[in-house]
Amino acid sequence: MHPALSVIIFTTVSGMGYGLFIWLTANILLGTPLADDDVVIGSVMAFILVATGLVSSTVHLGHPERAWRAFSQWRTSWLSREGIMSIFCFGPMVFIAGQYYFDLGFENFVNLVAVLGLISSVLTIYTTSMIYASLKAIPAWHNNWVILGYQIYALSSGGVAYIVVAGWQHHMIVVYLLIAALIVKIATWINIDRHRGQYTRESALGLTDFGKATPFEPAHSQKNYLQREMGYELAPGRRAIMRWFALGCGFIIPALLLYIGLPAASLILLICFVGMMAERWLFFAEAEHVVRLYYDKDTV
Amino acid sequence: MTCLPEKTDKKLGLLIDLNICVGCHACAVNCKEWNTSGITGPMEDLKPYGDDPSGVWYNRIHSYEFKKPNEADRTVYFPKSCLHCEDAPCVTVCPTGASLKRSEDGIVLVNPDVCIGCKLCSWACPYGAREYDTSGGVMQKCTLCVDKIYDETIPEDRRVPSCVSTCPAGARHFGDFADPNSNVSKLAAENDARDLFPEMETKPINQYLPPKKREQHKSRSLEHKVSNVKDALLKWATLDFTG
Ligand code: SF4
Ligand code: SF4
Ligand code: SF4
Repeated sequence: MHPALSVIIFTTVSGMGYGLFIWLTANILLGTPLADDDVVIGSVMAFILVATGLVSSTVHLGHPERAWRAFSQWRTSWLSREGIMSIFCFGPMVFIAGQYYFDLGFENFVNLVAVLGLISSVLTIYTTSMIYASLKAIPAWHNNWVILGYQIYALSSGGVAYIVVAGWQHHMIVVYLLIAALIVKIATWINIDRHRGQYTRESALGLTDFGKATPFEPAHSQKNYLQREMGYELAPGRRAIMRWFALGCGFIIPALLLYIGLPAASLILLICFVGMMAERWLFFAEAEHVVRLYYDKDTV
Repeated sequence: MTCLPEKTDKKLGLLIDLNICVGCHACAVNCKEWNTSGITGPMEDLKPYGDDPSGVWYNRIHSYEFKKPNEADRTVYFPKSCLHCEDAPCVTVCPTGASLKRSEDGIVLVNPDVCIGCKLCSWACPYGAREYDTSGGVMQKCTLCVDKIYDETIPEDRRVPSCVSTCPAGARHFGDFADPNSNVSKLAAENDARDLFPEMETKPINQYLPPKKREQHKSRSLEHKVSNVKDALLKWATLDFTG
């Protein structure tokens, strides 16, 4: 799939935002002593990350002014469900930031809203992952690793953001999460590589009993929308470099720096963010759509 | 609504005979001709005379060479347009309701006034049947010529999709697959009709008839050809043109 920058930014940034908010609400519920200002900054930062992601995701729409229509088909569409959930999540973020900043006198509701915020953040990440995992035509996405991955990458990158906001009191948990995320990522790649080639051109054509099919005259002289959108070919050499880069910056280096306690949490967050962008770039660039069987691929 | 209808009264679709198609692209051209002024047109054509022309087509004619050990290679022309799937994944993923499957006849359409151009439906379609209109910012696809097949100002026998009426070889048929006595249902039943990509579990309505198996042809050996030529010469020599 063509790795479009707007969607890469959207999923990386908003994942980090929800992850940060999960960390924040979980700590409120666990009674971790948190400075009021830190809670405010954390909620506002989560809000900004999620909002940036949403705005970025509307950039690639043909009709951004009609985006409100995307809330209507929640009964079948994961994209619609994601839209609704992401708007819902703003509620708890605004409430918690407002309560801690202005001291509105709703202390009794903080825990309830924190529970709501935590659950709705997890659900929003789930709806995002299901947009991809529900697409049978893209085998690299159509599996449970994608669902697990989206949750754990949000928690690990959001955990690093949490350290920037609220300090180092739980930094070893973030280290463990980064290691878990690393393992999930490698398992995802093993799964993708193992399942490459399960669909054939002959089956796509419905002609499995006539021998091996190869394209003869192209259907059109120039690339069309399908090839531009879904025909991205990632060279194996480039894949290897990007995979190492994503692992290194997204998980390994942040985990090491946190472990040794480098007193530069913002730098660690930046490295992690760049790594997650690379991870998300690969998520698209590596995913082969079965429509390529009608064009350049013998198997997908 | 992007919920798929439990059942459609009709299952209108195409039956494409790969044994007959000669790959002339007439159906694709006439599809564009009709639909560019149709209900979801215009179909964009960018730089049509430039180095890198691009645009939207609802129908594309691929071709493939099939190789099988101990058999002569065979060329198959392969027209591909929307299959109006019963379990259309392109419809259920649509967040706006712009993509829909009609309960009366099963036609899958995009409403260009509602589509936000998120392109998710084109990701969900395994067949590459949807193309994005960059000028209009909306998704486009085969309409099964819905604005032709129901048009009462057209003589009844001509109310068929443009690609069907234009095919010079008669490789394309249109009808109701829900009716077992329709032309298309009968042709499908008699001729080993195929679903494209059954693993995708989309239950396509459109059906494809495979090329004829080699065994069904008389083997055209050299001997055979020589005797054909001899017969023809004899006909002229004797000026006898019977048979
Ligand atoms: S062929 Fe593609 S666009 Fe047409 S109904 Fe099936 S999935 Fe949808
Ligand atoms: S591009 Fe249009 S028709 Fe397709 S899923 Fe998005 S809103 Fe629906
Ligand atoms: S049915 Fe109509 S819209 Fe569909 S491919 Fe044929 S001519 Fe084009």
